[in-house]
Amino acid sequence: MKKIFLFLFSILIYIYFGSTGIFFLLFSALSSFYVTKFFYGKHKKLWLILFLVSNIGILLTLKFQEVFHFTNIIVPLGISYYTLQVVSYVVDVYRGKIEREQNLFTYLLYVFYFPYLFIGPISRFSDVKKDLISSKIGTKQEIYDGLVRILWGVFKKLVIANRIAMVTSLITSNTSLYQGAYVIFACFLYSIQLYADFSGGIDMVLGLSHCFGIHLKENFRSPFQSESVKEFWNRWHIALSTWLKDYVYIPLGGNRCGKIRQKINVFVTFLVSGLWHGTSYLLWGVCHGIFVAFSKFFSTKSKILNRLITFVLVSFVWVFFLYPTSALTASKMFLSIFTTGNYVSLFQNILSLTLDVGNWIVLLISVFLLFLYDFRSEKWINFWKRSSIEWKTLVPCVLVLVILLFGVYGIGFEVTDFIYSKF
Amino acid sequence: MKWIRSLLIILLTLIIFVGLNRLVSPKYGDSLVEGSMTAAYYEEEKNHEIIFLGDCEVYANISPMVLYEEEGITAYVRGNSQQLIHQSYYLLEETLKYEIPKIVVFNVNSLRYGEEEKSEGYNRLMIDQMKWSKEKIDLIKASMTKEENFWSYVFPILRYHSRFSKLSEEDFKYFFIDNRNTFNGFLINKEIRPAGSLPTKKILPTYEFSKENMDYLEKIYELCREHNIKLVLMKAPSLYPYWYDEYESQVVEYAKSHDLDYYNFTKVTEEIGLDYETDTYDGGLHLNLYGATKLSKYFAKILKENYALTDYRLDKKVNEVYNKKVLEYKKKVEE
Repeated sequence: MKKIFLFLFSILIYIYFGSTGIFFLLFSALSSFYVTKFFYGKHKKLWLILFLVSNIGILLTLKFQEVFHFTNIIVPLGISYYTLQVVSYVVDVYRGKIEREQNLFTYLLYVFYFPYLFIGPISRFSDVKKDLISSKIGTKQEIYDGLVRILWGVFKKLVIANRIAMVTSLITSNTSLYQGAYVIFACFLYSIQLYADFSGGIDMVLGLSHCFGIHLKENFRSPFQSESVKEFWNRWHIALSTWLKDYVYIPLGGNRCGKIRQKINVFVTFLVSGLWHGTSYLLWGVCHGIFVAFSKFFSTKSKILNRLITFVLVSFVWVFFLYPTSALTASKMFLSIFTTGNYVSLFQNILSLTLDVGNWIVLLISVFLLFLYDFRSEKWINFWKRSSIEWKTLVPCVLVLVILLFGVYGIGFEVTDFIYSKF
Repeated sequence: MKWIRSLLIILLTLIIFVGLNRLVSPKYGDSLVEGSMTAAYYEEEKNHEIIFLGDCEVYANISPMVLYEEEGITAYVRGNSQQLIHQSYYLLEETLKYEIPKIVVFNVNSLRYGEEEKSEGYNRLMIDQMKWSKEKIDLIKASMTKEENFWSYVFPILRYHSRFSKLSEEDFKYFFIDNRNTFNGFLINKEIRPAGSLPTKKILPTYEFSKENMDYLEKIYELCREHNIKLVLMKAPSLYPYWYDEYESQVVEYAKSHDLDYYNFTKVTEEIGLDYETDTYDGGLHLNLYGATKLSKYFAKILKENYALTDYRLDKKVNEVYNKKVLEYKKKVEE
C-alpha cells in the first residue's frame, strides 16, 4: 500500500511540476533497470558503456543546450539527481557490489521517489531499498520527529535563506553599482544563504521521508566547522561528494598512485563536480580543486583560524553561483574586490539593501540559532530525545509562529525556489 | 498533568497566533481610514431607509448627515474605494441580512471598470475588516487578483507578516479598539484643490460596459425587486475620469428598460451650485465637504419629493440618536 501510494503520488507530483520530463525520467529508470540484465553475459562492458553514454549524454545535452543552442527542450526536473542515482545503481551492479533488483516496481519507486527527486540527497539503491519495500510507515515518534525536522527546514529556508536572498539578488542585479565590498559581503552572505536554502530543503526531504519510514542519509554535517576545504567536502553536499569519490575519483586511481597523479585526480573530480552544476561553474570546480589539492598552503596551527580561512575561501568562490550566467562576469566581480575600495559605502548603505533594522536583527538572531544548533547538533539531538513532552510541544509551536511571522514569503517575494533544484 | 501543560502550550500558541494576526494587520485607524468603512456599518443601528452603494464617488460626495438635517432621511453609504460592481452586489446581499431599506441608490461609475481595475490594495481596504459570512467568502473569491490567496484573507498574517518591522504606534493604539472615521459612511474631506487643466479625452477601444458588469447590475436589480426595494441609479458629479456619452446612453437605456430612476449629477452641476474652484479636494475627481454638502442638499430634495420617505426628525427616538450624530458631525466640520 505504501509503495503504491508513494509511486502514484511521486508520478503526480512530477507531472505537476514538469510533465514533459517524465519521458526522460522513465527512459533513465527503464534503461538502468534492464541494462543490468546483460551484466551476466559476455558483453557486459559494452552494455555498461552504452548505458553511460546514453544517460550521461542526455544529461549533458539537455544541461548544456542553453550554452551551445543546439536544442530547445525544457530540462527535466531533477535530471542531475536521478541520473547520478541510476548510474550509481548500474555501476554497483556491474561491480558486483549489489545484487540486481528483480522487482521493476521497487526499482521504479527508487528512481521516482518524489522527496529526493528535486534536490537530493542522491541516494544509493542499497541504502534505501529496505525502507522502500517495507510496508511500514514511520512510527509515531518518527512521524513527529519528521514533522519537526520539516519545520526546521522551513525555518531555514523562509526565515534565513529567503531573507538573505533579498540582499544578494539586489547586489547581483546591478553589477555596475554594486562592486568591491558589496561583492565580498554578498559572497559571505551567500555562504549562509546557500547553506540554509539547501540544507533546509534537505531537512524537509529527510523529515518527510522519516514520516514514510524511509531513512535517507544526511547530506550535511556542520560544514562551517571545517578546518580545511577538503574537510568541507566531507561535510557539505555529502551525497555528491561521496558519489564523485566512488564513481570518478577512485576509478581514476584515487590516492593509490603518485602525488602528482593524485592531485590531477582531485582536479578532474572537481571539474566533474563543476560540470555537474553547469558550464559556468567550471572555474568554481577548478578553484576547489586547487584548495583541496594544495590544502597544506591554506593551513595554520590555529583551529579557529583554519575554520575562518576555510569559510573565506569557500565563500569567495561562491561568486560563480552569485553570477551564474557568465563565469567572466563572476570573475570580473571577484576582481573588483581588489580594485574597488568602497567599504565605507557598504556600511553607510547597509540599510538600503532591502532589509531594514528589524529584518537585520531577525536575520542575525536566526543565523545565530542556526549555528548554535549546527555546532552542537549531536548535543541538541540527545537533548531533544530526552526532553519532556512540554518541550516537544513548545518547540514546534514556537517554530510555526516564528516562521509565519518572520518568514519571507507571499506576494512580492519571488525568491521561492530552492537554489539546488535548478541543478 | 504533562498533557494538560502541553494542551496549555498549544492553547497559548493559538492565542498568540490570533494576536499576531491582529497585530500585523493594518488598523485603518488614523491612516488609510478608507479601510475601516466596511466595518463601520456593523456598529450602526440598522434603520436606514436608503442605502447608497458604489465607489469613492459616493462616500466622498453624499453626506447622510445633510440628508437627515435637510429632510429627515436616514441613509447609510456603503461605499469603498474603487468598489467594483460585483462587490456592490455582495455588500448589498450582506446589508439585506441586517435591514431592508426602502431605496438602494447605486452609483453607476463602476460599470466602466474592467478586470484590470481589480487591485489587491483596494480589495484589502474593502474586505479586511468585513465580518465573516457567506457573502464575504463570495466577495473574496470574486475579487481576488491572480496573485492573491484566499487563505491570506482568513489568516492576515500570511499577507501582512512583513509589517512586523514597520509596526507603528497606530498598530498598538488600535489593537483592541477600532477607530471609525465616517458619518454613516461619509468621509469628511475639507481640503481644497481647484480643478486645473484636465487630461485630454482619450478615444477608447470600446465604450461598451462588460457583460459581467451588466449581469451584476441585473443581479442588483433582481435582489432589490425580490425584497421590494426601489433601485435608483445615480452618477455623482466628477470632471475626471470622463463619463462618456456612450456610457450615459447605456445607463439611460438600462434605466428605461427596467423602469428605474436615474440621476446624472454631472449634467446639473450649475443647478446644484458646484464650483470646482472650491468644492473639490483633488482637482475635480471628487467633491470635498463643501461640494458634498451642496450635492446632498440637492439630492435630499429630490428624494423627499419623489419617494415616500419618512421624516425621522419627527420620530423622537430616532431623532435623539441622529441629533447626537449631527452634533458630532458639525463639530468635526468646524474643527
